Amino acid sequence: MQTSETEQLEYYLSSLNELGEVLISADELEKIGSEVLRLTLGTVMASKGAIFIYNTSSAFSFLAGQGTNIKNPFLPPKNIKENLKKYRYGHVLLDKNETWNTGMLKKHNKEIKTKVLLPLFNKDHLLGLLCIGKKIMGEEFSTLDLTIMEIVSSLLTRALYNNMLIKDVKKGKEELNIKLLELETLFDISVAISSVLDIDELTEEVLWRSVGILNASKGMVLLVKDGSPILDPLSTFNWDEKVPLLSKKLEVFKKIQENKKGVRYSEKDNSALQKKLGEKNLIVAPLVAKNKPLGYMILCNKETRKGIEAFKNKDLGLLTSLSNQAAVAMENARLFKEITKEKHFNESVLGSIATGVVTLNIIGEVDSINAAGLKILKTEKEKIIGNHYLFIFEKDEEISELITRSELENNTKSDVNLPLTTASEETVVNVSVSPRLGLDGKKQGMVVAIEDITDVSKVKNTFKRYVSKQVVDELLDNEAKLNLGGEQRNVTILFTDIRGFTAMAEKMSPEIVVSTLNEYFSEMIDVVFKYNGTLDKIIGDELMVVYGAPISGDEDTKRAVETAVEMQNKIKRLNKERKKRKKPEIFIGAGINKGMVVSGNIGSRDMMDYTVIGDTVNLAARLCSSAKPGEILVSLSVQENTKDKFDYIKLKPIKVKGKKNKIDLYKVNIVPH
Amino acid sequence: MSEFSLNTKHEGEVVVIETNGYLNNVGGEQISNACYQAMDEGKTRFLLNLENSKVVNSIGVSILIEIIEKLQDVNGKLGYYNLAPIVEKTFNIMGLTKYSTIYQTENDALDGMK
Repeated sequence: MQTSETEQLEYYLSSLNELGEVLISADELEKIGSEVLRLTLGTVMASKGAIFIYNTSSAFSFLAGQGTNIKNPFLPPKNIKENLKKYRYGHVLLDKNETWNTGMLKKHNKEIKTKVLLPLFNKDHLLGLLCIGKKIMGEEFSTLDLTIMEIVSSLLTRALYNNMLIKDVKKGKEELNIKLLELETLFDISVAISSVLDIDELTEEVLWRSVGILNASKGMVLLVKDGSPILDPLSTFNWDEKVPLLSKKLEVFKKIQENKKGVRYSEKDNSALQKKLGEKNLIVAPLVAKNKPLGYMILCNKETRKGIEAFKNKDLGLLTSLSNQAAVAMENARLFKEITKEKHFNESVLGSIATGVVTLNIIGEVDSINAAGLKILKTEKEKIIGNHYLFIFEKDEEISELITRSELENNTKSDVNLPLTTASEETVVNVSVSPRLGLDGKKQGMVVAIEDITDVSKVKNTFKRYVSKQVVDELLDNEAKLNLGGEQRNVTILFTDIRGFTAMAEKMSPEIVVSTLNEYFSEMIDVVFKYNGTLDKIIGDELMVVYGAPISGDEDTKRAVETAVEMQNKIKRLNKERKKRKKPEIFIGAGINKGMVVSGNIGSRDMMDYTVIGDTVNLAARLCSSAKPGEILVSLSVQENTKDKFDYIKLKPIKVKGKKNKIDLYKVNIVPH
Repeated sequence: MSEFSLNTKHEGEVVVIETNGYLNNVGGEQISNACYQAMDEGKTRFLLNLENSKVVNSIGVSILIEIIEKLQDVNGKLGYYNLAPIVEKTFNIMGLTKYSTIYQTENDALDGMK
């Protein structure tokens, strides 16, 4: 080898070495291209050259150039790949007769004065072209020049391929990141379903996420409102202009409902929705839960780095997934709102009623109790919730047995006037126990309703001493009848007393007096109550009974007379028994008057009685005093009122104290029975 | 959420950009313009207060990446604070936080920029 050849070889080798360093150190393709071209042209002593990249859209783009102003991408000649395949891994010496060298490529080759064209093939894939212009001195390229160019083209091909791979990996990574974001968004929304229960907040959250993940410029959620033909814009994002009125009947919404899937609009469409919104690129997905249309989510304009473009089908797919999630979440939120409302309603109803309501779970533990229940049981919520009813009603067997029976027999059980010792010794309650059923009809536990009747019971017990049970019940059933304030009433008064009792008592021991009176009153009061009389007073051996107060009846007077008649008959029977027991006989006289009285609670704050006062009362008492043993004397008013029911004997009018004129007097002709 | 806007203030050598609105193509462009203008004036430290930008898309993120690339050439820094959780998550997933920093408060951020 001659010295000059050796030097040239060394020069080539050093160029290749430098090229290797460029390929290793440079990270940008443009830098690689320009360095490779510079080194190659320098090595083979050429003045002009260019590298073109054959890109995925089947066009050539400019990578690097020297001695040329070519910058713009250009379309390759037809079948360039096929025509160049035969030069793969090699070179082609360009002459004017190359039939495939046409169009812009031919024009650029002419400008570069390309002498050697090296197609950059990786297997069957054309990656680019390396075009080398003529040598500076116009001489032909040597074999060594061509070999060097082929080595360079091989290395450049590898670099281009690697760069393509790196780009693909980067793009893949970016796509994976975006997919990851999409998944994260879907996951976040599914989390929101269980955590966000406010529909407005939820809708906003889903809309914002959807706009962000789909690179939309703006969006809105429209809600279907029952009974309204207009869709309600529940939430908007980046929507500065006023949202136009959108009808449910708009073609797009009908179409979505029919096809059960969203729609995608682009520049080439011309729908009414696009016109109304003033936007061309749209995707609309329905919000559907349990086949019920809740609304729609609309996104506008897919953003790219180059500007706005049409949404793709996969975008609509993702929006549909997001909308489905949103619809479930919205339905959950709606249901939660309803349940909460229902719960508040139930709680307020339960809280406002006077009946204590205790619910038991399936194993008999208290799971809720209303305010009245706590008051009746005289306990606190914390002390009762979670405890078993057998423990709670430990002291009240009747109640716990009632619950047990209802539980075992699976039906409603109730009982009245039960003592509730758990609360206090005096507490009396009515209890009703029912099974609690779920929507599926399965038993979920029990409901115990407790009505505190302690006060009623006290009233009853008190009243019982004065009026019959029937009157007490009637009074309690209809409080309107009970007017215990002062009022004028037309009543019938019956007085009875034992004739000669004072003299009789003087001969008796006090114990005998008391037992005699008790025996007498016991018998007489039974009769009073039998005819619904109000026992007004017991004064010594005297009874004062009122008919028509506090409750008026149709036959008050008749019942008064009946009471007196039955009393007289009863006394006769009682005397027979007393005779047998060798007890002195008892005889009573009775007086009855009918007329106006003033009735009401009369007395002091500490001692107050319901009674009647007035002349009518006094006259009744006078009549009683005038009656002989076994007699019933009535006034004219009584006789007139009951003459068709009783047989009366008119007596001589009598003068009574406090009355100017004599009083008409009648004696009841008692029919013994 | 209304149209994107921003406000720029200077804290020593640090340029603090407070954004308001959707960090998308439009928002991203406005941020990059503000950053490049300041870079032309020799600024290399930038902080974004994203308190009022609750939504970001990938185009907005890619613009921030472009800003980071330009800042790397001048040994500059980009940081953020007051991020909504979803924005922070997006930045993490898109790989932004490998080349820029998220701070919790403005003070932390200003300290981190030193």
